[in-house]
Amino acid sequence: MTIDLEATGLSVRYGGNVAVDGVDLAVPTGRMVGMVGANGAGKSTLINALAGWSRGTPVVRGTVRLGGASMDGLSPHRRAAQGLVLVPEGKGIFSELTVMENLALVRPPADTTGRHLFSMEEIHELFPRLAERRHHKGGMLSGGERQMVAVSRALRAAPRVLLLDEPSAGLAPRLVYELLETMRKLVDRGLSLLLVEQNVRATLELVDELYLLERGKVVARGPAAAMKNDPRILEAYLGSLTA
Amino acid sequence: MNILQQLINGLVLGSGYALIAIGWTVLLGAARLVNFAHGQLYMLGAFVAWAVMTKLGVNYFLAVPIAVVALGLLGVGLQGLMLRPVMQQNLTSLMIVTLGFGYVFQGGAARLFGGDPERFVSPLQAAEIRIGEIWFTWQDVLTLVGTLLLFGALWLVLNRTRVGAVVRSVAEDPRLAQLFGINAALVYIGVFVFECAAVALGAGLVAPRSPILTSMGFDEVILTFVVVVLGGIGSVTGSLVAGFGLGLFTALFGALVSSAYTTAAAFFVLLAFLVLRPRGLAAR
Repeated sequence: MTIDLEATGLSVRYGGNVAVDGVDLAVPTGRMVGMVGANGAGKSTLINALAGWSRGTPVVRGTVRLGGASMDGLSPHRRAAQGLVLVPEGKGIFSELTVMENLALVRPPADTTGRHLFSMEEIHELFPRLAERRHHKGGMLSGGERQMVAVSRALRAAPRVLLLDEPSAGLAPRLVYELLETMRKLVDRGLSLLLVEQNVRATLELVDELYLLERGKVVARGPAAAMKNDPRILEAYLGSLTA
Repeated sequence: MNILQQLINGLVLGSGYALIAIGWTVLLGAARLVNFAHGQLYMLGAFVAWAVMTKLGVNYFLAVPIAVVALGLLGVGLQGLMLRPVMQQNLTSLMIVTLGFGYVFQGGAARLFGGDPERFVSPLQAAEIRIGEIWFTWQDVLTLVGTLLLFGALWLVLNRTRVGAVVRSVAEDPRLAQLFGINAALVYIGVFVFECAAVALGAGLVAPRSPILTSMGFDEVILTFVVVVLGGIGSVTGSLVAGFGLGLFTALFGALVSSAYTTAAAFFVLLAFLVLRPRGLAAR
């Protein structure tokens, strides 16, 4: 199995606060890896650090490799250009730009080795609603539609590895499931995906592998089937419903 | 007093205001950045064109493009120096830094070009057109037409091209733009270069109206602030309308009331307007 994205000893500090502490992580080609944990466990900080991106000014240590190439020291736009594409939590599109303009901001790369290309037709097939909404400004869309645009934008960038940070935040449960199932389909077609989620139940149904993050450290990892029965997961996230 | 003449004066003045303001408008609107050296950049634009004409014997029509390019290059350097506060959107630092640049330019220009008023002459300034009682110069026509063309082209680029969408995306959220693969730093440099180049063009077309001084910077652009704010910060169409509105107001107020109080009156109108419409003309 080849590894598309690999992080070793990744640590992120904000001032004196250690938000992520020595995390090792690997996303194999064509696999969907889930990352769960409580609020404040460091999930978003971690996935942002993989993309080299932040709204603050963190200090990041450790190494990140994409398909064997080091990403260390590369700015977020360079990482995006190489196929390490992040859909951040919350605001993921421009509200002053139309759906079409948002999508046209990204352009597929010249060198497509290892990349997953998505044509506009495929995007419209995945999210038919976007075709109808293409001339609407981002600010006029519903939360679900915005998330569709954000994911579509990432797909148009021809990702090698897609990083999704809580795509379900603020969405109705049915939409969450639809969106995650769509993601699963893409992974089955060969895309490598790292998903950060609050919704542990939905995540466990779809991912191949799961990491549990607590206070910035990976406290458990393994195949989804095994993690379903991990006492920490059962106790903290699934509760008595599956116990 | 001839009202028609005053209206023409107003349009000519207004196109000058709008032209000098456009760089600021784009900088504020498209990059959410401030540049308080705008006036001194205007002064430098005029003096570079003047120096190229008087020292090198280049004619006016080549001197102005040379000044535009020179100021554009200066813009690259300035933005390079300011990149860190710019990327952090640290507006307070930028205000002080650009104010500082302004004074450095003014002092440098005084050393380089001297402190005396100079005559920056356009050959079109003397080419008059008279229709009955009304008169204007070919320089006025050039300023008016140049302004309209520049505004039109800018509007098209900002609203109808991918480059424009990139600029608008960086204006809205530079951090998010990075995730779209956009080099926000490069976009800021581009916008800043446009500002410097546009103000140099404004100086090239407007400054020949009167003698130029190295200390003229701030006073010459003071009404530009009114145009930018009145138009609705960052609105290209708004600043064109505000520029013409202000030009007409200045011309008519000067003719009907007193030209000594024009600037004060313009700011009074701005205050009154902003009480009623805090976000300017372009507010939706």
